[in-house]
Amino acid sequence: MRNGVKLEEALRDLDSTTRREFLKKAAAVGITAAAAQAVLLKEPTVVTAGPSPKRGGTIRILSHQEVASLSPDDIGPTMQWNIITQIHNALVEVNDNFVVERVLASNVQAAKDGSSYTFNLRKGVKFQDGTEFTADDVKYTFEFHMNPDNATVMGVQFKAVDKVETPDKYTVVVKMKEPNAAFLRLGATTFIVPARYHGRIGEKAYKAAPVGTGAFRLREWRPAEFTVVEAFDQHFRGRPNVDFVRQDVVPDPSVRAIALRTGTADSSLWPLLSEDNLRFEADPGYTTFRTSSLAVNHFPLNNEHPILSDKRVRQAMLHAIDRQRQIDDVFRGTASVAHSIFPPALQYWYEKGVKQYPYSVDRARALMEEAGWRMGPGGVRVKDGQRCTFTCAVITGDRARRPQAEIAQQELAAVGIDMRIVERPVATILSQLPRGELDASLFNWTYNGGGGEPDPSATLRVGAARNFSRFKNQRVEELLPAGLREVDPAKRKRIYSEVQKIVAEEVPFLYIMYWDWFVIINKRIKGLPTSTQSGSTIIRDAYKWWIE
Amino acid sequence: MLRYLASRLMQGAIVILLVSVGTFSMMHLIPGDPVDLMVGEAQITQEQLDLIRKKWGFDRPIHEQYLAWIGNMARGDFGQSVVRTGVPVRVMIGEAAVVTAKLNLLAFFISIALALPFGIAAAVRRYSGFDYAVMVSSTLGLALPNFWIGLMLIVLFSLLLGWLPPFGLPSWKGYVLPVAVIVANQTALLARMMRASTIEGIGEDYVRTARAKGLAEGVVVSRHVVRNALLPVITVIGYRIAFLLSGTIVIENVFALPGLGQLFIESVNRVDYQVVQAIVLLLSVLVVLGNLITDLVYGYVDPRIRIG
Amino acid sequence: MTQRETAIPEPYRRSEFSRAWRRFKRYRPGLFGMFFILALIVLATIPDLLSPHSHTQIFRGMRGAPPSWSHPLGFDHIGRDMLSRTIWGSRVALIVGLLATGISVVVGVAVGATSGYLGGRVDAALSRVVDTLMAFPILVLLITLSAVLGPSLVTVVVIIGLTGWAQYARVVRADVLSLREREYTLAARAAGAGDARIIFRHILPNVMGPVIVLASLGIGGIIILESALSFLGLGVQPPTASWGGMLSDGRAFILIYPQIAIAPGVMISLTVLAFNLLGDGLRDALDPRQKDASLDG
Repeated sequence: MRNGVKLEEALRDLDSTTRREFLKKAAAVGITAAAAQAVLLKEPTVVTAGPSPKRGGTIRILSHQEVASLSPDDIGPTMQWNIITQIHNALVEVNDNFVVERVLASNVQAAKDGSSYTFNLRKGVKFQDGTEFTADDVKYTFEFHMNPDNATVMGVQFKAVDKVETPDKYTVVVKMKEPNAAFLRLGATTFIVPARYHGRIGEKAYKAAPVGTGAFRLREWRPAEFTVVEAFDQHFRGRPNVDFVRQDVVPDPSVRAIALRTGTADSSLWPLLSEDNLRFEADPGYTTFRTSSLAVNHFPLNNEHPILSDKRVRQAMLHAIDRQRQIDDVFRGTASVAHSIFPPALQYWYEKGVKQYPYSVDRARALMEEAGWRMGPGGVRVKDGQRCTFTCAVITGDRARRPQAEIAQQELAAVGIDMRIVERPVATILSQLPRGELDASLFNWTYNGGGGEPDPSATLRVGAARNFSRFKNQRVEELLPAGLREVDPAKRKRIYSEVQKIVAEEVPFLYIMYWDWFVIINKRIKGLPTSTQSGSTIIRDAYKWWIE
Repeated sequence: MLRYLASRLMQGAIVILLVSVGTFSMMHLIPGDPVDLMVGEAQITQEQLDLIRKKWGFDRPIHEQYLAWIGNMARGDFGQSVVRTGVPVRVMIGEAAVVTAKLNLLAFFISIALALPFGIAAAVRRYSGFDYAVMVSSTLGLALPNFWIGLMLIVLFSLLLGWLPPFGLPSWKGYVLPVAVIVANQTALLARMMRASTIEGIGEDYVRTARAKGLAEGVVVSRHVVRNALLPVITVIGYRIAFLLSGTIVIENVFALPGLGQLFIESVNRVDYQVVQAIVLLLSVLVVLGNLITDLVYGYVDPRIRIG
Repeated sequence: MTQRETAIPEPYRRSEFSRAWRRFKRYRPGLFGMFFILALIVLATIPDLLSPHSHTQIFRGMRGAPPSWSHPLGFDHIGRDMLSRTIWGSRVALIVGLLATGISVVVGVAVGATSGYLGGRVDAALSRVVDTLMAFPILVLLITLSAVLGPSLVTVVVIIGLTGWAQYARVVRADVLSLREREYTLAARAAGAGDARIIFRHILPNVMGPVIVLASLGIGGIIILESALSFLGLGVQPPTASWGGMLSDGRAFILIYPQIAIAPGVMISLTVLAFNLLGDGLRDALDPRQKDASLDG
């Protein structure tokens, strides 16, 4: 608190402004950029517009896969996150405009140098088992993830945390070993579990019987079939309008589309076919939110592969692939061409001035020639007696993306590169790629920290668990740790701009497009936001909705 | 008899053991493990992944993992799913098996009720128009891929007519379409079998004798032919217990039913060893027992076959 | 003809064959099946001459476009000519159906003949294996194996072939058991013929009738199995056109572009139907005693 800057005044008149505007305002009221970046905060918006909300009813949502666990540590898969976020809350949460909102914290103060964070907690918040939410629960949750014996997924976000102190019942101070600019967005957004309950039953049992402070509590969980949560009467933001949120597992996209059309479901958590998306968007019976996905649709390439290790070959491939054509032919135009690892939706961090690779067969051929690959028999290039061929492993049963591979296969063949396509289970691809045991693959992945945090350390650093392309660049190795230590957003922006430029120069993988993310909701659902930048968080706010 | 039983059980145990070793090694030949999937797109380091793997014992040598697993199985502990973290596999299989069993039993009884009369009638009036109709439609029933029929039914009854739910099991209505698809397939198979064995029965000496004695054709067929013709059909049904699963893998996938088949294929794709191994082992036990019981029943019903 | 040869009934002598053909002709659906399959074989042999376009060429902007004069079956979800792909798909169907059945027949006949001829412990052991394979859900085995080996045309053929032989073994074993004790076998043995000669010259030719019938019925099942595997994403790999693969692509687009699923669905159904009808006809013609045993899910 001594080092902290009180931001309350600065934030008072701030609504859903963009980051840039906020920073301008922050500067105007004399807040240092460092503090401002750390505490880009805002109270949750309360929907009051329009007719008064009605009580009751069930919101029915479709997912494509089972909800395997309800523990806050297993929020990786979207369909799990969607339920877990209804049941739990975090100190702060990132909203659908990438703004950090205070939720269980009533106030947050960040040390100027990023050495500590102080959270004042909301008073009178009840867990669903009736106990009161206090600083002990925060300390317990954070320390649970910090303990390496627990081997939690979220543990990574607490690597930089030194200790968690609770000066009183409603205050939590997190002391950092070293500054970590991502902590507020990625660590402090960890859902809080009740210390006594979780401590008693253990993480394993908790996965099936979660208790949080959220607007909904678990009612019935049939992992492979459906999950139902019901309104929690004593929720601190008030009881939600609807009685239940039900999430059904429906693997087939066309069946999900039928269910939406017939009104058996209100929304689908996982995308439908592009044609269906566009049809629903044009249909006045549905509210459609169209945002850009944060994950890039890309072909990871093994950068240590004898053929693919040559930068010129990778660049040639990017020139050879008509990305706009893939967007038009496979996705009916519902995507935008990717130029590096960040989507334009990440407004603040997005770097426009990167090297670009327009579709050009001639330039692709020239680059291949330059790299020493001469046209050989059967239209496949040869160099030192080696044919220019590699294998792309697409995910088994991936009907949405496999056509892209088939089109790319033809386009690459046109410049003398032979790409074979095989199907492999997704678990195999995810573990073999980073080990360099596959040549290439095709899927979407988020090359930023998520939640508006830019850090791509998990995907671009040597030895990183998700470095699918075995990318290795000395400058990036220096930049990324520096970016995490840096708390000044303007300086950070320069770092990540350079990273984007390096990626665009090196082309470690073929970045193809950013999908438009459609969230389609039946018109009977009211209380929706008027605009949004991040589609995946819309359903999080189901507690604000009501049914007409 | 007891010796026979003992030796058959012994043989069965060996088969089951072989299947278990086979499944275990096959599953471990698939590169990768479920941990990556479990973590999803969460930001994670290699170090943390290794910690999680260690927690699940994936860092131990293969033979150790096998012994631990088979030991647990023998004690009735089916292990835990890695993907559905911490949920006992026994519970997962239990939940899924109920759905698959309901689906199949329902379809099974309807198929029998349809197939037997049609098969017998076709056999009695062999080469008649009715026989042709039964044969052609049953051939069609076998020739149309069941997932295709399933999709067409969804389009017709859910989209165009709106009578039935397109997916899941919200009420009894959810069973109608999947059961209909299985029935189409099974009725075809059983009707053909019933027809064939009835035709064979009609040619037998004792039937000719019965007919020569002046018994009415209806009596001959119902009393002498059908009873004997049922025998091979029952046998086939007994042997096919395990097919119940494979028949519904695709159907459960199309209609999004949370049965054993769906659980199986998802678990294979996720490389969720524990679940796949448990399902295959369970099936092989079912198969061995099913065969044994069928043989015993067969021997009991048909004294011409001696066991021993 | 020498004396010894007349003592041995050759199953496919001309008179026998023409009698079987006369019986076969009586069953018209069987004839239909035969002609359909012949046509299919022509398609599969020279698809490049018969299909109007390349089966892999992607027409820009034609995703899911409906039928037209130059493209009578329309386009698939990437913009490839459906008619050409359907024609090319016959190749995979026949390759998988025939080769896998071929492997099954060879293995099944070998195992069945060994088992039946040698008897005793070998027979008991082999019979257990056969029982287990017969009863074990093949699709489960296929799914697991495909995941291990990685799906491809070769994998599919080999796996289906190596797992589907049990029914042939069972039939052959039963026939060999009875043939072993027939007079002509005994006569051959008395004349000093070795085991191999007896098996290959005297026993196997006599069991081929039921095997052919079973095989023609089994091919249909295998074609469906291949399409089910492709449907689950474990079949033949792109850009090869296979009906099963096309169908599973079409499944996703069934409400928007129904033509993608209809053509391969109809072709699979007709082909399986044709093989089954042919099998029925062959059964009546070759071996009226043979029981029905076709198509395991």
